[in-house]
Amino acid sequence: MQRDWPDIFGGLLLAILGAGAALWAAMYYDMGSLRRMGPGFFPVLLGAALFLLGLVIALPALARSAEPPKIEPATALAVLAAIVIFALSLSRLGLAGATAITVLVASLPAPRKGWVWRIVLALGVTVLTVLVFSVGLRMTLPVWPRLS
Amino acid sequence: MTTWEGLLFGIGFVTQPEVLIYCFLGVVLGTFVGVLPGIGAMAAISLLLPITYYITPEAALIMLAGVYYGAQYGGAVASILLRLPGTPQSAVTTLDGYPMAQNGRAGVALFTAMASSFVGSMIGILVLVLLANWLSRAATAFGAADYAAMMILGLVAASTIGTARPAKGFAMVTLGLLLGCIGTDVNSGAQRFTFGQTELLDGINLVALAMGLFGVAEVIANVRNPDRQSVAARIGLRRLMPSRDDLRRMISPMLRGSALGSFFGALPGTGSTLSSFLSYSMERRIARRPERFGKGAVEGVAGPESANNSAAITAFAPTLTLGIPGDPIMALLLGALVIHGIQPGPMMLEARPEMFWGLVASFGIGNLLLLVLNLPLIGIWVAMLRIPFNYLYPAILVFLCLGVYSVRGLSFDIMAVAGIGLAGYLLAIAKFSPALLLLGFVLGPLIETNLRRAFLISRGDPMIFLERPIAAGFVIATVALLLLPVWKAWRRRAHS
Repeated sequence: MQRDWPDIFGGLLLAILGAGAALWAAMYYDMGSLRRMGPGFFPVLLGAALFLLGLVIALPALARSAEPPKIEPATALAVLAAIVIFALSLSRLGLAGATAITVLVASLPAPRKGWVWRIVLALGVTVLTVLVFSVGLRMTLPVWPRLS
Repeated sequence: MTTWEGLLFGIGFVTQPEVLIYCFLGVVLGTFVGVLPGIGAMAAISLLLPITYYITPEAALIMLAGVYYGAQYGGAVASILLRLPGTPQSAVTTLDGYPMAQNGRAGVALFTAMASSFVGSMIGILVLVLLANWLSRAATAFGAADYAAMMILGLVAASTIGTARPAKGFAMVTLGLLLGCIGTDVNSGAQRFTFGQTELLDGINLVALAMGLFGVAEVIANVRNPDRQSVAARIGLRRLMPSRDDLRRMISPMLRGSALGSFFGALPGTGSTLSSFLSYSMERRIARRPERFGKGAVEGVAGPESANNSAAITAFAPTLTLGIPGDPIMALLLGALVIHGIQPGPMMLEARPEMFWGLVASFGIGNLLLLVLNLPLIGIWVAMLRIPFNYLYPAILVFLCLGVYSVRGLSFDIMAVAGIGLAGYLLAIAKFSPALLLLGFVLGPLIETNLRRAFLISRGDPMIFLERPIAAGFVIATVALLLLPVWKAWRRRAHS
């Protein structure tokens, strides 16, 4: 058992986010009046509400204990990196190249050891992806890497 | 068009071979993702949204709806065989379905789930048909203030009912509303929170948001989940038919569950997950021997399964006739309609009868297809559940990225999925509900527009919300919902 960190951090983060949004909107967007609301009215209201709700979540949690949550930073990092790599490489490496690399990176945190199955999986998913999206759905994307 | 004419027209529309194929595709795919734990109807519909650009809006909606109620069937399969709810709606089914499977009665449990789902859907369709004309006529009496008050009630109901910490629910709804502000303001043309990014002028991409919050977060959470890796199969499927005693026990829970589900499905803001939970607690409360629950009581499968399916059907009533989605999946379907240039609302029954009645008829035919399909398919689902997650999730990630990319052809949206995915993962760890965030996001622009319009009409007088009887009713209900937990806590303190 430990302090209820998820609620403390989560609540504070939401409070900061809400305060930031409300201040930003109040500074840069026209509030208008109740009769004719400007673009700033709703965001300021919501930001303030989020700020209060964040405090309501975080403050009581300070005095409370909870089971520590299960976090897996390595898994999260690999999965998110795979998505970013896919986004960055799609236009350069084409559908096939981007898919293969993405599957390889994504499979890193998988519990099963070894490299052979990862490479086979990357090839298999690449073939499937090209067949479904490029051949089947006729998505307009280069399939192969641009060599120049 | 009278109800009967409409229904006949709808059946004629759906039995066109092309439409029938999309209905079939939808329900099969829905069952498939329902069985696969982690990929719910939400992720599947997000994945399919881009594909629907290539087909007619009617066929698209029928297919997506098929995915939605098909997933309810599939979710029960994974709940019973693996104690892994394929969809949140079927989480309750694990409570008695899995013990039944352990007792070697998996076949009976699956049969019960299928039959209950079918009965629930059929009763849901009946309610929807009877309700639709009335609802759309009532809806024309709605003004801006009434719409705003109703949507706020929906958000409050969704964030308070069935949650331990309402503040967390409210925070997620508010965050969703705030995210909905991003983009160009419709009234003034001002750019809000875009920070000079042209990709954000239309706001955050709904598909990217849904995929990041649900798909990515689920994948991360399940990569090293030992339950997901060791899918053992010790399943007695030989005997499917329930005994006479089972049948006698399941009939009244089915009927009660269907009634409950139909009611809560039709209310905006509640939905099928809540109905299945309510049905389970009701069955246990009125059972003569409540101690059997949790150990394989057939009532505990029959009630919730019929409740979530009937709710899934009647949830289309507010979505189509009022333009107000009852749950996040409905919000996604609403988004799909808007993408096709169709504005759901009171006029839809008259303006697009083929859409409405075609959809209603497709529910009937789709559920019939599901019933006929699912019994022989059980063997295939079991085989699929044996594919280790090791091999499955990298492919899911690639498909998810391509699904998002295909909406606008922007790599920016894939990057957004990564960022939203991280946020979604952290939210899941801290037990904040991403579904409520999505609900707020979808309803945000609608609420803002209607609030602004209402105040414009009343010249800034907030009394407009109390002078109009419809709005006043919603305001009173909202206040009651907000005060209910306070009152309960006060009474508990007074007792002790």
